[in-house]
Amino acid sequence: MAVKSIVELNNVHLKSDRGEKVFEDLSLRIEAGRSAVVTGPAGSGKTILVELLVGLRFAESGSVELFDECLRRGRKSLIRRTRRKIGGVGGVYGLVPSFTVAENVLFPLVLAGERRRIRRERLLRMLTEFSLLKQAREYPPTLTRVEYTLTQFARASIANQPLLVIDEPLAGLDATTYGRITEYLVKVSQSGRSMLILASDAPDRELPNSDYYRIDKGALSCVG
Amino acid sequence: MCRVNHILKELGHNLYRNPATALGSLMSLTLLFLLFDLFWVAAGTSERFYTRLLADMQMEVFVAEETPESSLAALNRSLEAIEGVRVVEFISREMARERLTSMLGADLLVGYDTANPLPSSYVLSFEPGYLNSADMARVENETAYIAGVDQVYYSKRWLAKAEQTRTIILNVGMALGILILLTALTSSANNIRLMIQTRAVGLWRMRILGAGRLFLATPFLLEGLLVGGLSAGIGWAAIFYARQEITFTQFELVTPSLQEVGIFCAAASLLGLTSGYLGIRKMLR
Repeated sequence: MAVKSIVELNNVHLKSDRGEKVFEDLSLRIEAGRSAVVTGPAGSGKTILVELLVGLRFAESGSVELFDECLRRGRKSLIRRTRRKIGGVGGVYGLVPSFTVAENVLFPLVLAGERRRIRRERLLRMLTEFSLLKQAREYPPTLTRVEYTLTQFARASIANQPLLVIDEPLAGLDATTYGRITEYLVKVSQSGRSMLILASDAPDRELPNSDYYRIDKGALSCVG
Repeated sequence: MCRVNHILKELGHNLYRNPATALGSLMSLTLLFLLFDLFWVAAGTSERFYTRLLADMQMEVFVAEETPESSLAALNRSLEAIEGVRVVEFISREMARERLTSMLGADLLVGYDTANPLPSSYVLSFEPGYLNSADMARVENETAYIAGVDQVYYSKRWLAKAEQTRTIILNVGMALGILILLTALTSSANNIRLMIQTRAVGLWRMRILGAGRLFLATPFLLEGLLVGGLSAGIGWAAIFYARQEITFTQFELVTPSLQEVGIFCAAASLLGLTSGYLGIRKMLR
């Protein structure tokens, strides 16, 4: 059955551990094939939004639905399955320090139980596409910031998951890599995969099939 | 298959990247199991020694002076009918004299040919299962009430001492076994917990990507299983090697059969698995 909405947050209320308001009546819908770019200052709740989507936090009221299924506390199996459908970059999606670059990139395919031939083919394609062939056997602590980010992108792309969550994708990148990543984001938004991009500033190129939002003080508003 | 490969690879990584922790865990468990094995061998050896000593144990039933010879057959039948008695051997006065002479090397009763003062008696041998204080005391009581019996004698105090020693060995063995079990569990679980702590960030990130808890925990469980089984195997290998090299002339060392060793190694693996579980149980919650 085709999924109607990739992400659907309805009237989400959330408080921090210290009891401060984080989200108040927050709603967001990303339909299949569309993307959302959410911008906002540091501390506005962008990363917490990702944590809601991956089941690290749960709304006090309202609902969080991914792929037409409602994420609730205690639904461990569903949360695990949902996490596998998300490719992530930045924020909570750091690389596994004890894995090499190649192992990190391959990991979503390992979880998906893909066959060795397919794993090899896709790994080679990803390492080539993100210029990581030389770093394939290196470990994350030895990588530069750019290489680290590119490895995350390669990992988020290898399994063609239906949703790509990208938290601050362009922070700290040099001009060349910035251009390359922006190009990649445009390509993904045209491919039919959905994206949720969370950033302080929107990419300087407009992404097709995308809605733009602004998050501030726990409230989300559509800006285009 | 892909996930199984990954789990095995992770197990290899755990051992390869933390060789000191893995080796330390293996060595400490090996020493603990070796201690346990040595006690097992000592207990087995002393148990055989004790069984051999007991097997020779007999009870002497002295016939009353005034008992007519015609009653001896009935007395013999009564003794044979007692539960646990295997053989009843009649020792006449003459045979008693011969035995005494052979024991002492000289006939002390020269001149008493017509009036042999030694009483005739019955020597009772027992089934192995009845060679214990309780059964022997029961036989003693039953025998004492049979007509024609004057006195009953067996090494009562020696038997009680031997049984006491055996109980002490058994209790010490039990206490040592429990202590070793707890130490092995704690030590191994702690090593695995330390290993998990060093990799906590990576494990958390894998979970964010959708890795299940069991998928992440399996390499650590396998590590416990492997280290437990291997250390038990090394301990026994050392014992068997030493037994082959060292010869005891006074007694023979009793080692368990290969089947028992196999069962012990399997139990040690299970112990390792349990310690692995204890080490990662927080992650499995």
